[in-house]
Amino acid sequence: MRIPASLLRRVTLGIGIVALTLLALMPLTSTDAAQQAGLPLLTDRLWFRIATTVAMFVVLASAWNIIGGLTGYASFGNIAFFGLGAYATGALVSNLHWAFAPALLAAPLAAAAFAVLIGLPLLRLRGHYFAVATLGVGVAVGEVVNNVGPLGASTGLFLPIVRSDLLFFYLMLAAAVLAVLTTWIILRTRFGYGLLAIRENEEAAAVIGVNTLFYKVAAFAIAAALTGLAGGIFAQWNSFINQENVFAISDNVSMILMAVLGGAGTLLGPVAGAIVLELVIQTLAGGGSEAVYSQIALGILLAVCVIFIPRGVIDFFGGQSRLSLGYLRRTLRETSA
Amino acid sequence: MSQFVQQVILGVLLGGVYVAVALGFSLVWGVLNIVNLAHGALIMVGAYVTWFCFSHWHVDPFLSLPVDAAVLFLIGYGLQRGVINRLIRAPLLFTFLLTFGINLVIVSLLLLVFTADFRSVTPSYSGAGLQIGTIAIPYIRVASLAVALLLAGILWTVLNRLRIGAAILAVGADRDAAQLVGVDLRHIYAMTFAIGAAFAGVAGGLISTFQSITPTAGDPYTLQAFAVVILGGLGRVSATVAGGLLFGLIEVLGQSAPGLGSGFANAIAFAVLVIVLAVRPQGLLGRVA
Amino acid sequence: MGGGKPAAGAVSVVLALLATACGTSTSTNPSPSTGAPLVFGASVSLTGSLSKEGGLTKQGYDLWLDWINQQGGIVVNGVKHPVQIKYEDDQSNSDLSATLVQKLITDEKANFILGPYGSAATATDAVIAEKNGIPMVEANGAAQAIFNKGYKYTFGVLSPANKYLTGVLDMAATLSPKPTTIAMLTANDNFSVEVAKAVTDYAATVGMQVVFNKSYPAAAPDVSGLVSQAKQANPDIVMNSGHLAEAIAINKAAKQLGLNAKIFAYSVGPSTPDFISALGPDANYVYDGSQWTPQVKYHPSFYLSVSDYVKAYEQKYSSTQPPDYHVAESTAACLAFQKALENAGSLDPAKVRDALAALDVVTFFGQIKFDSRGINIYKPMVVEQIQNGVHYTVFPSTVANGSPKYPTPDWSSR
Repeated sequence: MRIPASLLRRVTLGIGIVALTLLALMPLTSTDAAQQAGLPLLTDRLWFRIATTVAMFVVLASAWNIIGGLTGYASFGNIAFFGLGAYATGALVSNLHWAFAPALLAAPLAAAAFAVLIGLPLLRLRGHYFAVATLGVGVAVGEVVNNVGPLGASTGLFLPIVRSDLLFFYLMLAAAVLAVLTTWIILRTRFGYGLLAIRENEEAAAVIGVNTLFYKVAAFAIAAALTGLAGGIFAQWNSFINQENVFAISDNVSMILMAVLGGAGTLLGPVAGAIVLELVIQTLAGGGSEAVYSQIALGILLAVCVIFIPRGVIDFFGGQSRLSLGYLRRTLRETSA
Repeated sequence: MSQFVQQVILGVLLGGVYVAVALGFSLVWGVLNIVNLAHGALIMVGAYVTWFCFSHWHVDPFLSLPVDAAVLFLIGYGLQRGVINRLIRAPLLFTFLLTFGINLVIVSLLLLVFTADFRSVTPSYSGAGLQIGTIAIPYIRVASLAVALLLAGILWTVLNRLRIGAAILAVGADRDAAQLVGVDLRHIYAMTFAIGAAFAGVAGGLISTFQSITPTAGDPYTLQAFAVVILGGLGRVSATVAGGLLFGLIEVLGQSAPGLGSGFANAIAFAVLVIVLAVRPQGLLGRVA
Repeated sequence: MGGGKPAAGAVSVVLALLATACGTSTSTNPSPSTGAPLVFGASVSLTGSLSKEGGLTKQGYDLWLDWINQQGGIVVNGVKHPVQIKYEDDQSNSDLSATLVQKLITDEKANFILGPYGSAATATDAVIAEKNGIPMVEANGAAQAIFNKGYKYTFGVLSPANKYLTGVLDMAATLSPKPTTIAMLTANDNFSVEVAKAVTDYAATVGMQVVFNKSYPAAAPDVSGLVSQAKQANPDIVMNSGHLAEAIAINKAAKQLGLNAKIFAYSVGPSTPDFISALGPDANYVYDGSQWTPQVKYHPSFYLSVSDYVKAYEQKYSSTQPPDYHVAESTAACLAFQKALENAGSLDPAKVRDALAALDVVTFFGQIKFDSRGINIYKPMVVEQIQNGVHYTVFPSTVANGSPKYPTPDWSSR
């Protein structure tokens, strides 16, 4: 596959800018340092925690979008990649006392390798069947990890605390940029057109010479690597991982919600979806005795969103449509009975 | 050996509950193309109805099953007609999101109304059973299995012998064609979902007899229903029955699998599911798509 | 230690009217000035699968909150600080719990953190407390793994997981005919596994043998397969290490499958009123290891006596049932903070942390003293049994108000 020279230049430039910015800010990896530097925003640990969580879901939703949105294979097993990444890094740091940096490299590798392994048999399935098979993988892998002694079994793994909220924010942000950049590159290459062709009509794609199995497995592995990377960062950031917090099926549902609400198959849709939904969830979270009402509000909000703007927020706020009654009426007519 | 027989019996009896859990889920998925994430919440509504009748009016849990069905039928009809119908032509993932929201609302409402206290339905005969040698067969579980099979029979009859069933199957096969021959789509959608919900309600009533009830206790059953439907295959009542019984067997035998900690039970059940899918995507008894 | 009873302790008058009368703990300084409010933050599960237990935790915190504010607040270095508790709902999600604790510290300006419900959330929150250097006293995460990591800012007032069921074995060893075989069922979560491991390690020292030992996935809806296997082992003692839902399910399955034993003992569950209301007469004879019961005979040096505590609870929550131990241990967490603040004479988190580490005080909940890891290994667990629908404390005999009804009759002859 040939990448146009102009594209390459732009990508290199983009990576360069991001890398330079990160390098410039790297010294500020403790909030104390930030405080001394007189940067008030950088001292707010809550802001960092939420921003890191949002960045993490940008990675997860964008990665899901590569297999679910671009290729059309709705995976309910991406959470297995997140969990495997977390446990790869976690076990290396906690059991073998590796440094975090090399241990983090193992996360995407382990996740991608596992994706190839299960992708070869499962990517032959279509639609619902693929969805449920991957769901089965997600549940089964989590349950197995929960029973394996060296991985801490049900006690979970504890990692040494690294006291730097900024470091993890930058790492997660870098992963998010990487995920978006990867999607951007895919969308502009032959590989990406192949994936879109598979989504629209897999038989036709095969006829025009797309090696469908290879393309699908590659997309799955890329999505897994990104998801696993986020898992590895999460492990060290959270310092405690167990089945419950890294293999939560509800997190897999969240990433799908985000990608679909934002606009599956688009470059920035999953990003917008992740930012908006996670911020809404975080805003509605908490609260004392009224907590149950915010849960109800969240449920109704979701229902209203999918009923009235089913093509995603990106389509709603940008693109050809404008926020108008006409738009709402039109989408309702197209989707309702 | 008798131990193995005992485990098989318990597996089949548990499978009966899974059949009841999955019938409505399968109908809604097959006909409406909706993966109903609120299914577990609907099951719990049924469980609470049974509990309410039992604790306030001392109604036997099996006698209140028709009440569960009626209440859930109405809720289901209203939900589909008022809410889900607005999104019925959207892709699968959108209705998926919608039902996720509905699930959140129902679970929260249950928490508001019934609080988080653990409720349980324990009729006087709850411990009675048949004892054959060392093998115990609890009556209440046998009755659950019987009800599940009865439900399957009712569903089969409705779909294959009644006008409404013909209309539901027609809509499931081809919406536009069904509409052309004069089927009222909105009504049929709502009826389908209502029947699915009614079955969920009955399943909830059955579950209340052996498990404690909380607002979130239904969540795992959505996952189980998912698995059962896939294991058996989508689109046939007999396939759901087979899938449910098989899944119950796998779970119980997984708990006693030699050499492995029974903590692996869930892992085994879902690994079998994945393998079945990889080898025979249409399910064990499903029609080839 | 173990000083005198509170002056007004024995009087059973509505608490609200006692505001001025029972201020024994704060009487060291006759007229302290009023300072800025102290904010405690608590992230508990008010929705989701742990909302029952989360609600009990909140009840325990609120009971102390009412009392301390009737006193006018906590006296720190001669200044009376009124108290606020800010709550956040973690939706029974441990990741969210960590973010909310950070929110409590950053946004709500919480000076100190009261723990969440459950070992998983406690483990996540401990990291946040550690990173922020804010002390957290928790009452509902008994897994010792949390305390073996060298965290400096997390303290647990409750007895650790390994003590939950060993007391039942001590009791069983005194009974006649002595039971000798144990079937152990364990939910596969960090807390329950520690409970079960302690039982298997301890059994031999009291001359007993674990003849059946299996775990099941946490929150498994059906355990009948396991129960029928346990029945084949024909044990004298059936033990479950799990939570309320599983305790109810196992008890139901035991009856349905005719699993008879001399002792049924469950780690968590039977102590809550829900267990009795869910099972009715089938709940009788069941034992549990409990952190605290309304019958314990401790002589607190401050706060309420055991009987006044029970009255205060029944009054505030219009309950006919006494509080279960989840409520009591949560109140105890607040008491640890109160005493440590008074001892420290400072609001500085590091100084309060040191005062917590040095704390040694007797409350209605028992002795509160932390080992070097931060967990309270000094307070004993007690054994309860349900008899005719009522909880009785049956062991150790020094605090008991009943004796074990032993052996448990067969299901068929009840």
